[in-house]
Amino acid sequence: MGPTTEAVDTGVPSAAVADAIDKRAGRSPSQIAWDRLKSDKVAIGSLVIVVFFVLVAIFAPLLVALEGEELNKYHPELISAANTYPIIGATPQHWFGVEPRTGRDLFAVWAWGARPSLIIGFTAATFSTLLGIAIGLTAGYLGGVVDKIITWIIDVLLSLPFLLMVLALVPVIQSRFTKPGEVLTAEETSGIRFWVLIAILVFFGWIGLARLIRGEVLSLREREFVQAAKVIGVPTRQILFREILPNLVGPIIVSASIAVPAYISSEAALSYLGAGLVEPTPSWGRTVSNAQNSYARYPLFLWPPVASIALIVLALSLLGEAIRDAFDPNTRR
Amino acid sequence: MLIYIARRAIMAVSVILVVLVATFLLFFAGPADPAQSMCGETRCTTQRLEDIRRSLGTDRPVAIQFKEYFQGLLVGRDIYVSGSPKHCEAPCLGFSFRTGVEVKDALATRFPNTAMLALMSMVIFLSVGVSTGVLAARRRGSGLDRGIVGFSQVFGSIPSYITGLLFALNFTVLYPLLPRYANRSDGIAGWIAGLVAPAIILGLFYATGYVRYARASMVDTLNQDYVRTARSKGISEQTVVYKHGLRAALSPVVTILGLDMAGLLSGTLITEQIFGVDGIGRFAIESLRNDDLPIIMGTVLIGCVLVVIMNLIVDIAYSFLDPRVRLS
Repeated sequence: MGPTTEAVDTGVPSAAVADAIDKRAGRSPSQIAWDRLKSDKVAIGSLVIVVFFVLVAIFAPLLVALEGEELNKYHPELISAANTYPIIGATPQHWFGVEPRTGRDLFAVWAWGARPSLIIGFTAATFSTLLGIAIGLTAGYLGGVVDKIITWIIDVLLSLPFLLMVLALVPVIQSRFTKPGEVLTAEETSGIRFWVLIAILVFFGWIGLARLIRGEVLSLREREFVQAAKVIGVPTRQILFREILPNLVGPIIVSASIAVPAYISSEAALSYLGAGLVEPTPSWGRTVSNAQNSYARYPLFLWPPVASIALIVLALSLLGEAIRDAFDPNTRR
Repeated sequence: MLIYIARRAIMAVSVILVVLVATFLLFFAGPADPAQSMCGETRCTTQRLEDIRRSLGTDRPVAIQFKEYFQGLLVGRDIYVSGSPKHCEAPCLGFSFRTGVEVKDALATRFPNTAMLALMSMVIFLSVGVSTGVLAARRRGSGLDRGIVGFSQVFGSIPSYITGLLFALNFTVLYPLLPRYANRSDGIAGWIAGLVAPAIILGLFYATGYVRYARASMVDTLNQDYVRTARSKGISEQTVVYKHGLRAALSPVVTILGLDMAGLLSGTLITEQIFGVDGIGRFAIESLRNDDLPIIMGTVLIGCVLVVIMNLIVDIAYSFLDPRVRLS
């Protein structure tokens, strides 16, 4: 019970009132944001969709076993010899039909495809956020030459045509992991691709957050509480992580939540263009690319991955915007 | 003013130089041997491998290779193509590994296709985006406003290649409502007609952003005191909105337009691929599949130069609009 509540003598039995006042006073910006988010219908709806896809990704093997199939099992008997298209549509054995030519079960390809998509999205968002925080803090707090160099690097990276650079970089960086003359198995190649993709997305992904953090830190470091901490001899590490960083939780969470759908979308786009994940790692983007020419005759091939990419990116984006609104004191819902 | 422009120009040149060195090191001086991947696995003789290495110049030290590439860019140089020397005028980007065509020419024939697509979609997203945004701002809080904002939020959140692909497959292939892409050499009318479908999708995708910027900016402007004054003077609502409001509301839109230019280049890349437009982006993807290094290097360089130049123009134009930026 704080001194303010005792000083206010209104004559009302004060225990309940004081409690309410204390609760209000004690809420951090993150708590306020969380409370606002919980009452946001769009956010909850998006969250349900995201959770659905996360569950599909986690239980992919189980779901596929439930269907009675496995990944990369070929069914040539289901393919018409005349035109290489499947002779079945969606059946109780093959929920999403089978792939033209090979006869692979498309439900298995779809369910397993959720994994790389989500893992890349969340891993790249985590690392790019950490990198963005580290670089932004360094530039903003140290200032001077370091800040100039970092700002210049950011300007250079911002001038690059992102998609073109990434497309060109993927095979080049991949070649750095192979010795000349060495022949990799398909599994090894696709494993390397997976991490190369994450690395490239992180490499281009930290810039926005670093700029934001740098700007915030530039103004925060001149504030009284930071100056005071410096004067009483608090170590720099502690000033950065205990004094400055807690003030930036909002923008960091917002930036991370907007990054995830962007990376998922980029992965699918790159895989669609042939510079992303390769066989045998399943990828929705690659399935879309394979399916587009069969669309007129076998649309079932295209719809699940297309709908999934659209839904997951949409849900995560709307969730990200809801989080931004929740942290923004200017919006009232 | 001049100092500001000079500073921005030096910055732009330094960026281009860095990209030049970085891409060169990545593509030509990497540990992978481009000649090996060029040569093919089955019919690769030592003689052929040597030829390719010499035509690429990859048999010499990296520093010399870079000097030659740089020299080629500035003054031109001679390059060995399948054994015989060929002169390549400045700015020389080399010759394609696969076809032997000069990279510069190959890019020059495809550039109008990309530029036209970008221009057409820009017309669409500016006109549709700004007018819809202004409409939403004028009916702020109404069902129409909520509908416009909601739709633009949903449509803008779905990746453009998904909507583009579905649009392309349904309306140019399955039910051909709109014509497919035709080459410019087969007639200008058919060429432009074929670009309508990709421009609509790219334009509508970008329009969603402009709807929101224009709406926010317009709402802000219409709440200003001078707009209230104009209204209280009895000026017609049309004049208030379009003459007093819109002009002020547009300047943030112009800023965002500048920032979007780089993104638009990526947008055309994937749209070209989906709709089969023979532009720079599709060409880059194709040469990537063929390991055609000079072309990849050329497209990255051109793309970067375009982005840098557009950023420079926007910065300078903006410093005229808003004198405060010159001081920072």
